[in-house]
Amino acid sequence: MVILIALLVPAAVAVWLLGAGRHLAHQVVNRVALVAAAVTLSAVVASVVARPSIDRPWVPALDLRWQFAVDGISAPLLVMTAVLGLAVVAHSSRRRPEGGTSAAFHACLLLVVAGALGTFYARDAILFFVAFEVVLVPMWVLITRFGDAHRAEERADAGARFVLYTALGSTLMLVGILGLVSAAGTADLQVLARGAGSGIPRHTQLLIALALVSGLAVKVPLFPAHTWLPSAHTIAPTAGSVLLAAVLLKMGTYGLVRLPVATVPDAFGRLAPLVAVVGAVGILWGGLACLVERDLKRLIAYSSVAHMGFVALGLASGTRTGLQAALFANVAHGVVSALLFFVVGGLKERWGSADLAVARAALREVTPRLGFALVVGLAASLGLPGLAGFWGEFLSLYAVWSPAGDRPAGLLRATAVAGALGTVLAAAYALRVARIVWMGERVEPAIADSRGVEWVVVGGLVVAALVLGVLPQVLLSVTSDAVTALVGGGS
Amino acid sequence: MSSVVSFDALVLAPVLAPAAGALAVLVLDVAAPRLRVAHHAVGVLALLAGLAFAVPAALGVESAPARSLCLPAPAGACFYEAGPLAGALQLGALASALVVLLLVWPDRGTEPGTESGIEPARDPLRGGPAVVVALVLAATAGAAAVAAAKDLGSWLVALELATLPAVALVALRGTSRASAGAVSLLTTSLVSFAMVALGAALWLVAAGQPVFSVAAVERAHAAHDTWAVLLLGVLLLAGGLGFKLSLVPFHAWTPQAYAGGTEPVAAFLAATSKVAALAALVAVLRPLSAAQAAVLVVVGVVAVASMTLGNVLALVQDDPVRLLAWSTVAQAGWVVLPLATVVPAGLAASGGYLLAYVIATLVAFAVVVLVVHAAGPTGDPAAGRTLAAYKGMLRTRPLLGAALGLALVSLAGLPPGVVGLVAKVLALRPVVAQGLWVLALFAVANAVLGVAVYLRWFAVLFQEADAAVGTAIPSARRAPRGPLAALALSATALVLVSVAPQLLLGLVA
Repeated sequence: MVILIALLVPAAVAVWLLGAGRHLAHQVVNRVALVAAAVTLSAVVASVVARPSIDRPWVPALDLRWQFAVDGISAPLLVMTAVLGLAVVAHSSRRRPEGGTSAAFHACLLLVVAGALGTFYARDAILFFVAFEVVLVPMWVLITRFGDAHRAEERADAGARFVLYTALGSTLMLVGILGLVSAAGTADLQVLARGAGSGIPRHTQLLIALALVSGLAVKVPLFPAHTWLPSAHTIAPTAGSVLLAAVLLKMGTYGLVRLPVATVPDAFGRLAPLVAVVGAVGILWGGLACLVERDLKRLIAYSSVAHMGFVALGLASGTRTGLQAALFANVAHGVVSALLFFVVGGLKERWGSADLAVARAALREVTPRLGFALVVGLAASLGLPGLAGFWGEFLSLYAVWSPAGDRPAGLLRATAVAGALGTVLAAAYALRVARIVWMGERVEPAIADSRGVEWVVVGGLVVAALVLGVLPQVLLSVTSDAVTALVGGGS
Repeated sequence: MSSVVSFDALVLAPVLAPAAGALAVLVLDVAAPRLRVAHHAVGVLALLAGLAFAVPAALGVESAPARSLCLPAPAGACFYEAGPLAGALQLGALASALVVLLLVWPDRGTEPGTESGIEPARDPLRGGPAVVVALVLAATAGAAAVAAAKDLGSWLVALELATLPAVALVALRGTSRASAGAVSLLTTSLVSFAMVALGAALWLVAAGQPVFSVAAVERAHAAHDTWAVLLLGVLLLAGGLGFKLSLVPFHAWTPQAYAGGTEPVAAFLAATSKVAALAALVAVLRPLSAAQAAVLVVVGVVAVASMTLGNVLALVQDDPVRLLAWSTVAQAGWVVLPLATVVPAGLAASGGYLLAYVIATLVAFAVVVLVVHAAGPTGDPAAGRTLAAYKGMLRTRPLLGAALGLALVSLAGLPPGVVGLVAKVLALRPVVAQGLWVLALFAVANAVLGVAVYLRWFAVLFQEADAAVGTAIPSARRAPRGPLAALALSATALVLVSVAPQLLLGLVA
């Protein structure tokens, strides 16, 4: 019941806004969306506490069921999605979106949240795919209609790139899912995870895993399928960037855990070295790109590629620690990237562009709050102990240094070294940004500091990044049981 | 015994109703030629009656398929047999024809008697309403009949009955482009008929009996010689039907005929004709159950080629009707994709995909008709025939824009057009289940291309409305009633099956 509320309230309000909200004032629309997001959040929290499940037929002809449930793997992501959904709506109250009606903007935000929640709740492989696709069109609208107002052509290009890349990824994933479902005879993810690929020929398992991993790699994104991400992030409005980084990318990593890792573990094990190498290349590539990137938003986007590389390393290790690390890094990146995109998006709105080459007032001098938030975000992003980013990266590297017995230890250790090198790069680019944007004596041109709702949202994320860094056990204990169920006990 | 074959009017009603309707319209035209609306009303009633009678077979209320025209007991073969899939295709043909009839419903502005009984200049089709309605009904009767035809003779007749009126419908517009389109369609039909007739003859030689039955196929399978002949016959039959389904390499007539005829006629070609062609193909393929590697490879290759060519050419079209024409070619590829597996699930998947496509494409055509109508009175018939005419439609005419948007995302297979997405799942499932991974990969690439095609049009709906062409988009009050009703009907169906795809897929499974 609460699951249905969490899914249907945002969807229904979005449809209502699309239908009837065209002439409503921005503030009214924002209030309505805010209430919907708040109801969604409370329903999600209730569902995470009560852990209900729903199972009823939807399309018997396809054996497709409305099958939703919550477990330790999805619970943190559900809460994060709902919280960030509320945050982006609250954050949007300050200014009217450019490029379309406020109702359409908010409807798209709510639809993305609803689709992401559906993805995390789904316990039916094909339903998972359907929910996965729901976010595509609203996100595409957010990028092409509400993106950077100055660059119409780039908007269309970034939107098309986003939608085509992700459609390619999800259709590949669909092929994998269909192969899995027809080989195993069920679409129930819990049953599939319990079976863990037994009874499916090795060759077929490998093909299924290949389709699933390559399809989800586009969404995560893993090198070299990441090229849609920087342009989409650069162009998207602040709210869109936040949802993209903190929610949509998580759907990719969540899918990796839920589908190939859980259902065809042997075949994923055979692909693991490839995943690890690709992850390590992504870490280095993203870090190097960040060292020279001039656009601040694009820089943060490249840092996402690097962070997702750590998640890939954790998954590839095949150990309990590695999986825990991947899930932790996933949530930590959600919090940190949301924080950074809120700050950077706010800066871009104030500056009018995000070009680092333009001399601007030092944030330390003119906007201490935004400056503080930026520094915390960057510090968390480079993996400073005591902040959210540390545990995911540290544990991932540890796990991939001592991988499961069936993995090629030499190769994985090499990727661990590469990953460690990546953290050095992360420190370098974080300091580069801090030096250019935060330090200095300039006070011209002055910009307004963060106030009101924006500061509440940003401040809340700063606190979340601190809490996850100081008390990682809060999150690790939630995922622990589910992870044990997936890889068994041991290391 | 009173008759040679049994005759059950109730079972045959889905075919008889439109056929009788066609006759009634012609009789009415002799009696009262000026009653324009009455012709359409009779046509709509005939189709509604046909729909009502087709429902029991489609829902599979009785466990056995509805049979009629059966030979006396010892032989017992039936010439007419409508199982659930055939019934569903009949429903699709009748319902799509109903939408087409509504699209050509006479406008208030062209009521009779204005100018000495001659058709007003704006009437785009020659011959008056009776001819149009009778042709649509006749072709629909053919489509409904071919879905249930079990023997070669009635199958051939029904197939041609479904095809030839379409040629006339294209030609009725009377412009040179229409003639070119009609000639192209006619030539194609004749070639296709030749192939189909030859295929039918080979089937008869190989199987020894003029029926599409498992027994006939098994008989042919027994000997190597006859089996080869049967396969050749099936290839010829499938090739001939490929013309009608607009499959590559037999697709060339499609854009010409679509763009040459009026928009409702294009809708008819895109919907009812395609249902007839698939129904005919299903009748041929159903008895073949295994070991047709040659046919399978051909079907797979044809499916991929159609998708790819259709999508690539649709990407560069600026005329919405031509875009929809090439999209038909691409979607026809998706329709036959599951047939490459020749498992029963493949046939049902193919039917389900086709019905989803038909609903979405009818919505798109209904919007195109409304936009062209609004642009038409100024005298420039091409005014509504560019993508630019749809600029900003979601702002200026939100309902119309939303309907078109939903149709486009359904065709692209993205939510909120859930039915399109589910149809893609349906079409891909047998392919993957049979381990045809290469075919699946090509399909994936084409799914992405398809998204690009339809989102290109969808993006136009979002753009800022252009003041100059903003007037091209009709307001609700000035819009003609018929197309509005057609849009309401098809859009409601699209929304319903998007929320509950089972309504559609339950019919074919």
